[in-house]
Amino acid sequence: MIRSSEALYQGLKDIVGEDHVSTDLLERINYADTSLPYDVEETDLPDVVIHPGNTKEIVEVLKYANQYQVPVITYGSGTSLIFGTKPKHQGITISTRRLDSLQIEEDYQWFESGAGVTIARVNTELEKLGYCLPINVGSRMQATIGGAVSVNTVGHLMDYIYGKPVSNVLGLEVVLPTGEVIQTGSKTIRRATGWDLGRIFVGAEGILGVITRIRMAFYPKPETADTVAFFNTAEEIGDAFALMFKKKLPPILDGEFVSEKCCKMGYEAYGLDFPKGALAITQSMGRTKEEAFKNAKEMEEFFKSVGATESFVLEDPKVRAQVWGVRENAMRWGKEKGLKGYLAIEVNPALPFLTRAITELNHITEGRNDLIGETEAYLYGHIGASSLHCLFAFPYSWPIEKMKQVVREIWRVEKELNIKYDGVGGDWGQLPYRVPFYREKYGEVSYEIIKKMKQLFDPKNILNRGNLEGEE
Amino acid sequence: MKEETKQEEPTGRTEDYLIGQLISCEKCHLCNTDCPICDYRITQGPFGINRSIYYSLKWNQFSKELRDLVYSCTTCGKCVATCKNVSRALPLVDIFEKAREFLFVEKMIGPMPDQRDVIKNIFRKGNPWGYPPRERTKWAEGLDIKFASKDNKVEVLYYVGCTSSYDAEGQKIAKSLSMILKRAGVSFGILEKEQSSGSEAKRMGETGLFEHLVEGNLEMFEEAGIDHMVTGDPHDFYSLSREYPKRGNELRVEHSTQFLNSLIDKGRLRLSSKIEKKVTYHDPCYLGRRGEVFEEPRNLIKKIPGITFVEMEKCKENSDCCGMGGGRMWMEIPKGLVSSQAIAERRVKQALDTSAEVLLTACPFCKITLTDAVKAMKVEESIQVMDITELIAMAL
Repeated sequence: MIRSSEALYQGLKDIVGEDHVSTDLLERINYADTSLPYDVEETDLPDVVIHPGNTKEIVEVLKYANQYQVPVITYGSGTSLIFGTKPKHQGITISTRRLDSLQIEEDYQWFESGAGVTIARVNTELEKLGYCLPINVGSRMQATIGGAVSVNTVGHLMDYIYGKPVSNVLGLEVVLPTGEVIQTGSKTIRRATGWDLGRIFVGAEGILGVITRIRMAFYPKPETADTVAFFNTAEEIGDAFALMFKKKLPPILDGEFVSEKCCKMGYEAYGLDFPKGALAITQSMGRTKEEAFKNAKEMEEFFKSVGATESFVLEDPKVRAQVWGVRENAMRWGKEKGLKGYLAIEVNPALPFLTRAITELNHITEGRNDLIGETEAYLYGHIGASSLHCLFAFPYSWPIEKMKQVVREIWRVEKELNIKYDGVGGDWGQLPYRVPFYREKYGEVSYEIIKKMKQLFDPKNILNRGNLEGEE
Repeated sequence: MKEETKQEEPTGRTEDYLIGQLISCEKCHLCNTDCPICDYRITQGPFGINRSIYYSLKWNQFSKELRDLVYSCTTCGKCVATCKNVSRALPLVDIFEKAREFLFVEKMIGPMPDQRDVIKNIFRKGNPWGYPPRERTKWAEGLDIKFASKDNKVEVLYYVGCTSSYDAEGQKIAKSLSMILKRAGVSFGILEKEQSSGSEAKRMGETGLFEHLVEGNLEMFEEAGIDHMVTGDPHDFYSLSREYPKRGNELRVEHSTQFLNSLIDKGRLRLSSKIEKKVTYHDPCYLGRRGEVFEEPRNLIKKIPGITFVEMEKCKENSDCCGMGGGRMWMEIPKGLVSSQAIAERRVKQALDTSAEVLLTACPFCKITLTDAVKAMKVEESIQVMDITELIAMAL
């Protein structure tokens, strides 16, 4: 086993070129730091960071790593909110950002891209032709298509519009940990029937292979119009969205909400005179602006009929920016209160439990004797997709051990709530800390099967070592 | 919150300021979006620079690699706008400039090697190149321009700045602006002993020299009875209007595009020659995003008879940088980091996409950099780079 920066540098520079191998301390720190509230430690750093430029180089890197049993972490843009990208056993971090080719095949109705292309770039190029990418994550300006496919996320979008990446990926090129390359899927818009090996890699969070190239379907870009609705409480928004589906309203692309406490801070930060309480925003679609507007009006009527204190279609661009500003800037309010301000969780209750989950999360810190009781919680999220985010803020003056303790408590709460309300969570590439959830939710037999698959694909356990084991 | 969070009292120490700011970074990476110095490595760009500063301070390790990263920033401010819109609103450029000061003053590993002589030149000769101070006003010879002084009061001081005083391309701006002011009948003058505003010294982390120059300049302005000045250099404009301390009588500082607009609006200046050209405009970072002057240059361009004005896809707050700000004018870019020429060529390409014949700007740095990029790209026949002032002079 080779385990030193210098030895790895010598072994890898001939494969990817010396300009694309780095043992520099700052580079290694940057590729290890994650959005966890406490600092990385020296043992978290990869020994070496490499930037291969093509599949062939990755093949050689993985053969080398496999031969010498060096742990490898695949790194897109590092926008995973938790620590999937942090090496648990040092070794090699492979950045995919130089895999940056992009071809849009309009005649075929799919595009092919390298794993390192950003979601924003794919979308910008598709929009020029009147199409859209069926993924919309908050980190789209930096997040890579390879990362989104690896964690199988659509971000804010409603799953029932385009489905998850697993439904839209038509083919993959994957380098296996042992260095073989496989091509999966088809070039038609019909997904492969029966066994489609590509599906195993979508959502596998990089533990089975390195995805180097993706072929994916796209869709005509819809016209959209947004509706805002103000409610007295976030619970009322939960009731409204649970009912929305049964009312068979025109499907929305995105449904967001911001709880009372977040709204209050947002309104104060921006000096807005919006009605007190919580707010919901929906994005209606149509083939034309008129159709989108008509559908948005229907949402407005619906919200009013279920108790909204006020609701209207966001026609004024200034008001639209203010409303979305309140939603999108939820993350920074902790700082304005002098707090370190984050660890966010995701709870996806089944629809019948949506309002109960909101109630519980909206009061999650009350009456507790643990460290969570010492935090400030802010609730918001993609309620249309039944995705509730709760951001726990705490002072950055807390000792690291205290921070680590509260992080463990918060994850435990997330697990318990997802189990309790039939949820899943996990859109952010959170495998390392979700292993306990997975084992409890799906059972030991399922977990053992995944471990055996990992063993089959990666006999020396080089890829993302520690993530499936649930190591922090 | 069960217990009230106690805010640490500010200690005034630079490293405490830096840690205090950077500890609250979300680490969302979105600041890297559209950063001119970002390439495929996340370390190159505001995210990587901010984390590198943070951990260098925490681990007490300060390397040449850290210095290269910290000084690679163009200080264009795009990351600041992004962070404000989507995250914690960290003042990233201020943080990076404070880090430069820290590396220079406390750790003595800043500035960049080439910048050392530049700083010496600014200190000794009042300009970055080390040209003799007596040659500073040579461009004005034969133009019948007054030297402002207590015995020679002027309505407006024209603060020329180093680049427009000494650089051949910059001098065209100085000559054009002087000609326009004369035509408008403005009582203006320049300072016989003008020296650097200190803007570039500050960008390189030499805040002591900046303060020294501020003192000298304010004394000079006061002695000459100056209460209104105009400059064509956005870097000086930014320092003079935002970084100089307010003292006694309010000193009104305008960029030339603001002043010329007001002259036209008041009927003191008329543009009568038709210029039938399609033009686009590059917002200089220190005038636009940092100085918040977006509309006046555009209004001025549109007042030129015959002009067709088109915007580039990235304009105003979202404008891209030319690559030479933040002290990069005075350094060789270390191997592996994004070169200023690559940044400028990207911007010229955006201008070419508009099919404009002229790429206008309002900054001598931008003019020099973009002109070099046009030459390097061999597209001189498709597009010409000019300062707005030069075009206005043609339209008189």
